Order: sequence, then structure tokens, then C-alpha cells
Amino acid sequence: MNDQPTEPADELGKWEIQVRKGGLGLAVLAILWPDRLYGLEILRRLDSQAGMSIPEGTIYPLLSRMKAEGLVDSEWVEAEAGHPRKYYRLTDPGRLRVREMARSWRTFAAGLERLLAPLEIGETK
Amino acid sequence: MSNDAGKAHLETYLAQVQRHLNGLPDAEAREVIAELYSHVLDKVDGVLTPQRVEAAIAELGTPKEVARLNVTERVVAHLETHRSPLSVFWGVTRLAGLSLYGFFVFLVSFTCYGVALSLIVTAAVKPFLPDHAGLWWSDDPQFGHTMALGVEFPAPHGHELLGWWIMPIGVVGGVVIGWLAWRFGIVSVRHMRSVARRGRG
Repeated sequence: MNDQPTEPADELGKWEIQVRKGGLGLAVLAILWPDRLYGLEILRRLDSQAGMSIPEGTIYPLLSRMKAEGLVDSEWVEAEAGHPRKYYRLTDPGRLRVREMARSWRTFAAGLERLLAPLEIGETK
Repeated sequence: MSNDAGKAHLETYLAQVQRHLNGLPDAEAREVIAELYSHVLDKVDGVLTPQRVEAAIAELGTPKEVARLNVTERVVAHLETHRSPLSVFWGVTRLAGLSLYGFFVFLVSFTCYGVALSLIVTAAVKPFLPDHAGLWWSDDPQFGHTMALGVEFPAPHGHELLGWWIMPIGVVGGVVIGWLAWRFGIVSVRHMRSVARRGRG
């Protein structure tokens, strides 16, 4: 029995987490568009390029699922660092999927932007 | 010396992860461990002091969290492409050791698939062995009330409940119970993945 109302900041935080989770699959595939990358590199680029800081333990299961779905491929490469690294690259179906996801995301974001436009005008008044 | 201590700390952590990965085939488990090992080496830039290793593995999560997430994601990924009742039951079996809920799902699935299979087999065998296939209710002075379903040699003492009705009821009941067990397995596996993700969310 917990009748305490949730703080608005908590609700906002939860909403932000859900939005980020929703976009995570697209972000990982998009990060792999130009290069093959290894896990930690993907995490660092997600953080630096998209401001998406995700728990490190979650990236490998996600990549493994994408591999099972045929969206990415992987190979172990003996790295300069002195230990092997597992690099991931997009497959052809992965490239097709990320294009479709990007198109869908842009349509969704553009629609939302139109809805949000009056808020911006209201803020400047 | 410090590097040795850090390496030992990392190996202990990975051994604990591996112990919780027992729901995965050996090759997949080895792959997970190798990738985590490589990740930590990258994270500490090759300097394996116990403090740096501890900080790196803290970011990954506890051995149980890491293992649970890896196993559930792999099982769900497999179920996205392989949806047969056998695949779903196999997935449920892989998750049985990860949590109490996983074990509960396994028990329910095992029981329901068992009942469904018994009903269908009994219905199929009834025309060939009418006295030995069926559903019996007996009032045994030693064991109390008992119910028996299936093909029994010798036929149990007691009252056969359905007679020839076991054929349509067995087929329909078996299919319905099997379908419910199948759906329950899929929904439960997805639920376990959500819980595992929330654990690291």
C-alpha cells in the first residue's frame, strides 16, 4: 500500500528513460553505419555523439540479439591493445533496417515538432 | 603484483558470471565471457589494478545481473524466429535456473505440456486400446482419492470418467492446454527479459 504521489521529476525521468530505450536500437545501428566498432567504442560514441549513457552490461546482449536477427555481424580481431576485440558491422539487411527505422523516426519526430511549435512561441512571449 | 591481483579479481568475477550462464550452450557462454574480458581490458587501458578492475566491473553489473540479461536476451532473440512449442519450452528451461519466477514458469510449462500431451496421446490410443486408455477416478482405501490419465497397463481399478468422450475432449483439451502453455511461455520469457533490463536500467 503505497499511496504517496510520484514526484513530477521522477515521472519525467522515467519518461526520458523510456524515450531513450525506444531509440537505443536505432542509435546503435546508426553508430555502426560508417564503421565496424567494438563494444566499448559503441558505448563511448553513443555517449559523446548522442548523449546516450547506457548501463555497460546492456550493450552486449543487445548486440547479440541484433546478430541473431541478422542485422549485424561480428568478428574477433587481434587489436593493437594486445588483446582481441570483437568488432561489429552492419549487414546488408541491417543497413536496410536502419534506413527504414530512420525514415520512421524522422516522420514521427517531424510530427511531434509540429505539435511542439506553439509551445516555443508561448515561451518567447 | 598489483596487475596480478587485478587479474585475479577479474577472473573471479568472470567465473561467477559463467556460473550463472548455465542456461546457455558452452560455446555461447565462452563468447560472452571472452567479450566481457576484452571489455574490461579496454576499460582499464591494460592497467589491471584491483581498483580499476573493480570500477570497470561495477559498471557492467553484478555477475547475476549480467548473466541474466545475456541469457534472457538470447532466449528472446531465438524465440523471435523459432516459435514452435518445443522451442518455447526449451527457452523456458534455459531460464529456469536464473530466478524463482523462472523456475515457477518452468514448472507450470512442464505440467501443462505434460497434461496436454497425455490428453492427446490418450485420445489417439483410445480406439486401439479402449480398456487401457482413459481417465480414471478411484477411491483407494490406502491412497485416498486418485486420478489417472493416460494409457495404463493394467487398467487402473476405479471408475472411468469419460469413456469414448476422451477422444474429442482429449484432442480439444490437449490443444487448448498446449496452446495456453505455449502463450504463457512466450509472455513469461518476455517478462523476464523486461525484468532483467530494468535491473540494469
